[in-house]
Amino acid sequence: MNEYTLLILLLLISLLWFYFGNKTALSLKNKQLKLNSLPHYYGIYVALYSIIPSLFSYLLILVFDGILFSNLIMEFVPKEILNSPDFNKIIVLAQIDNAVRGIYFGEQPDWVTIASNQMIEWNNQSLIVNFFCSISLALGIGYLGFKNIHQEFRSRNSVEKIIISLLGLSSIIAILTTIGIVFSVIFESLRFFAIIPASEFLFGLTWNPQFEGAERAGSGQEGLASYGSVPLFVGTFLISLIALCVSVPIGLFSAVYLSEYANKKERSIFKPLLEILAGIPTVVYGFFAALTVAPLMRNGGSLIGLDVASESALAAGFVMGIMIIPFISSLSDDVINAVPQSLRDAGYGLGSTKNEVITNVIIPAALPGIIASIILAVSRAIGETMIVVMAAGLAANLSFNPLDAVTTVTAQIVTILVGDQEFESAKTLSAFALALTLIVITLILNFYALHVVKKYREQYE
Amino acid sequence: MVSNSNINNVKTKTIGEIFSKDPKIICRNVDVFYGEKQAIKDVSIDIASREIISFIGPSGCGKSTFLRCLNRMNDTIDTCKVKGSISLDKEDIYDEKIDVVTLRAKIGMVFQKPNPFPKSIYENVAYGPKIHGLSSSKEELDFIVENSLKDSGLWEEVKDRLQSPGTGLSGGQQQRLCIARAIAVSPEIILMDEPCSALDPIATAKIEELINQLGKNYSIVIVTHSMQQAARISQRTAYFHLGELIEVGETKKIFTMPKDKQTEAYISGRIG
Ligand SMILES: Nc1ncnc2c1ncn2[C@@H]1O[C@H](COP(=O)(O)OP(=O)(O)O)[C@@H](O)[C@H]1O
Ligand SMILES: [Mg+2]
Repeated sequence: MNEYTLLILLLLISLLWFYFGNKTALSLKNKQLKLNSLPHYYGIYVALYSIIPSLFSYLLILVFDGILFSNLIMEFVPKEILNSPDFNKIIVLAQIDNAVRGIYFGEQPDWVTIASNQMIEWNNQSLIVNFFCSISLALGIGYLGFKNIHQEFRSRNSVEKIIISLLGLSSIIAILTTIGIVFSVIFESLRFFAIIPASEFLFGLTWNPQFEGAERAGSGQEGLASYGSVPLFVGTFLISLIALCVSVPIGLFSAVYLSEYANKKERSIFKPLLEILAGIPTVVYGFFAALTVAPLMRNGGSLIGLDVASESALAAGFVMGIMIIPFISSLSDDVINAVPQSLRDAGYGLGSTKNEVITNVIIPAALPGIIASIILAVSRAIGETMIVVMAAGLAANLSFNPLDAVTTVTAQIVTILVGDQEFESAKTLSAFALALTLIVITLILNFYALHVVKKYREQYE
Repeated sequence: MVSNSNINNVKTKTIGEIFSKDPKIICRNVDVFYGEKQAIKDVSIDIASREIISFIGPSGCGKSTFLRCLNRMNDTIDTCKVKGSISLDKEDIYDEKIDVVTLRAKIGMVFQKPNPFPKSIYENVAYGPKIHGLSSSKEELDFIVENSLKDSGLWEEVKDRLQSPGTGLSGGQQQRLCIARAIAVSPEIILMDEPCSALDPIATAKIEELINQLGKNYSIVIVTHSMQQAARISQRTAYFHLGELIEVGETKKIFTMPKDKQTEAYISGRIG
């Protein structure tokens, strides 16, 4: 028996309770008694009553024992390993854990064998404790719920309450996860800012983390890494701006076309086609940008005497713009469709042309929604990485020229974190600082956008 | 041009007086189809200058459909086809040469549910004059807006808050705003589709009074489900049933001595 069989056992017990609850309710009904709720609500009630506490205790014991054992087991690790400078608890635990699972890499030190045997014994004891606790809860509390069943018991309302608390719990989990992510980013960033001053990071004009700890080629002396993030944010801004210049007009116009001009048949063809754009993996856009668009732009540029870098902000921004068209077109199309027919009638009734109705009536009425769709597209553009890595390059040039190679924040985070890295170095930690700044910027953007939307709402409704 | 000789020479099953001495709009043998379904069957009627005429009849009988033919609002519905002839000042409004936009500027419309634009009160009224270029200066526009609001009896209530949203007004005020918006373009005819059905009795009374006022300067065609309302405000009444125009005549006569059995049944409350 292991923890999974126990879990299945708990589920079976609650199913059993469902059956009994249902059956009892049915038998009450057969005695011509008028039940408060439908019979299956009684079944669900008892089942939930049994599964929730038992599942809770099951998880609690599992997690608690895991933490407890991993601390206790340190007793078995020899002193010289514990005190050595490169002692790493995670690695030691992994070693023991592998032994527990019967996975060995070469010669096994004695203390690992002893520790793993101890661990197996503890785990078994824990499982037995867990078994008794959870099963008795499932049976006992289930029985309490079962005894609650009588003619007037409002099982429907009780089930409703339980479900509501489950839903609330889920949303709390989602919120806690977000908070957790933000805090972990904040803590790592603080470590970064302990090494590199925040002012240098925020206002420095060169981004060059590659030399961290490395010898500068040929010079024999340690190179200087620099962590000025301005070029990255300028790059992000530049590429997003180009993307918006492409996607906002095209997205908005196609939304207007789809909702106001296209007939049913055209709509049923065009709309899904546009939405396919959103389903294409970004890596495909990336190589489309790198292998098709960028060379095209380079050649086109040289024809008219422009010097376009083979990896350029223009190519990346253009392709990114195409990628986010469906975000704008699809959402805007929905909000335009939601503008009430009565407003259109009012416009036409006053003798407006179709175009006047669209520009003077429909677009202003749909504006909050349109802005929201653009914001969604912007946050997609800012977060997009793959296209940039492949088409805009990784050179952190500080440039506002769309024909230059630039890079973005997310692309840098990727280059920093792929491959080997030391977890303590400023280079690795800088990824967190970048992430934090990005989060803050998008947050400000979102708040500002919400504010704009709200202001318009007040004016227009 | 519709020649004068045959307009009063028309076959019709309608009882009563479909002709007017001074016709503004002349409808002859109008059929309307939604796809395959016929919603209006062979309707012929004149609408005189400066008269208030009401369309009554059980719901679904085609009153709105027929009303919307008069300013070609049915053009906005793809499936809708109109046959027969409708002319305004003896000019066929379904002729290819006719510009729908100017036609609708001449024939204003007020809808069942108040539908002010989500803009300020001022902008709502100024909308029509702006798109039709009726004013050459800000002062002129202000003047039009003020006059239209005065004519619709709303001026005193809103003159201090012209910049606040039109949608913030009460239902009755919104409907009067829509009327102000319609008359700001100086139409010749105003079509109203159950303009009071979403309003309370007091707001309704105000609108009725307003319609009586407006009747001095405009032709008004009003669809209503309230026979009392028809009796109170209109000079002529037309009774529709299942897409047909059953009876037309002076309102008094229609309500006191209808000639048709169906009309009588409806008026006495036996068909609803
Ligand atoms: N857009 C439309 N498409 C199809 N049928 C319609 C449409 N509008 C109205 N109809 C049909 O035409 C008939 C007349 O409708 P309507 O003119 O709205 O009646 P009323 O205004 O007298 O209540 C009804 O049977 C209705 O179902
Ligand atoms: Mg109607």
